[in-house]
Amino acid sequence: MNPWPFVIGAYALTLGGTAAMAAAAWIAMRRAEGQAERQRKK
Amino acid sequence: MPTLHAFANPTRFLSIARPLTPVLLALGAALLLFGSWAGLTQTPPDYLQGETVRILYIHVPTAWLGMGGWTGIAVSSIVYLVWRHPLAAIAARAVALPGAVFAGLCLATGSIWGRPTWGTWWQWDGRLTSMLLLFFVYLAYLALSRADAERDGDGRIPALFGIAGTALLPIIRYSVIWWRTLHQGPSITLTKSSVDNSILWPLGFTLAGFSLLFVAIVLMRMRADLARIKVEARMRRMAAA
Amino acid sequence: MKPKHQRLTLVGLAVAAVLGASGLALSALQGEAAFFYAPSDVAKAAPPVDRAVRLGGMVAPGSIQRQPDGVTIAFTVTDGAAQVPVRFSGIAPDLFKENSGVVAEGRFRPDGSFVADNLLAKHDERYMPPEVAGKMHKSETLEP
Repeated sequence: MNPWPFVIGAYALTLGGTAAMAAAAWIAMRRAEGQAERQRKK
Repeated sequence: MPTLHAFANPTRFLSIARPLTPVLLALGAALLLFGSWAGLTQTPPDYLQGETVRILYIHVPTAWLGMGGWTGIAVSSIVYLVWRHPLAAIAARAVALPGAVFAGLCLATGSIWGRPTWGTWWQWDGRLTSMLLLFFVYLAYLALSRADAERDGDGRIPALFGIAGTALLPIIRYSVIWWRTLHQGPSITLTKSSVDNSILWPLGFTLAGFSLLFVAIVLMRMRADLARIKVEARMRRMAAA
Repeated sequence: MKPKHQRLTLVGLAVAAVLGASGLALSALQGEAAFFYAPSDVAKAAPPVDRAVRLGGMVAPGSIQRQPDGVTIAFTVTDGAAQVPVRFSGIAPDLFKENSGVVAEGRFRPDGSFVADNLLAKHDERYMPPEVAGKMHKSETLEP
């Protein structure tokens, strides 16, 4: 059985999943902190 | 405990977390990418499994962080119940999602690894089943803490759940010794490793990279939560005025 | 009921539910493990005939025989103390080798032999490059 599709699939899933989670956390944080900042300035 | 409270102060926390977040993100990503490159190209194949062994470099860190995440939830829950500090409850909530994702990734990479080596995607083996149970316990915790926050609960129920769930961690750890059905025994313990150094070394890089990214994600989620709480508090004050 | 007592009851129920679920899962696992036999278990007490169980152990050296039909393999599973002859028709995993761990899913026959519907390869916790493995066990071959 050719091992590479399994290896590449596992890496793509894990690295992609971690990157997506970090990006989602970053966007949510920027949005929440931006909202707090705008409200403070009002 | 004055020192603990100094760190638990939200303003003090933010003054540390703000500059730390981008550093952790950049360093974590760099270590993870280097470790993955090394693990995919710079190490020899295993004598028995061949190239499939490379899944080790991502499977083991996700497993440890999936379990480490629950340890974080349990410690934060104890701090919250005993010292009543709200930041501890926010930390526990922030850990739950990345912890669940890593537990899920551990199950997924394990399944992908199992097909070419063991000859099966899934078996009701002790290690596999107890890890699946931890994944479900994470999902239950996420639902419970969300429900508690929506009903303006005091966070005590999720905290107790977080402490009770710790019972699973030793079961996962010793599952490969109690039920020797399919998953092999522990390769790496505190005192020894049965992985040859020429194969082992990239694991240090991927483990450090995943860990830093995990902490960065927790900090970002905590910062988002703190900002949301601030907005809600101000809106309530304005409505009352 | 006071709200505080209500909360306490909820907590109790949640903890009980978790413990109950863990207990159920663990007892199910215990049951799974009960259907797991090593060759010396078979030698001690006669195994149930015609019930789906699993047999685990090492593939005895020199025991793998490919049958003339091309799909059936006969081999012996050993745990050092006892041996069980096994027959399997199908595709064995890549890691299925002599001197290597195996888990066979299937049924015992009245004569004490085992017919497997499925073969799983089990490996141990050691990982090393072929050169190191070659030095450590000169007798082992890397050829399938």
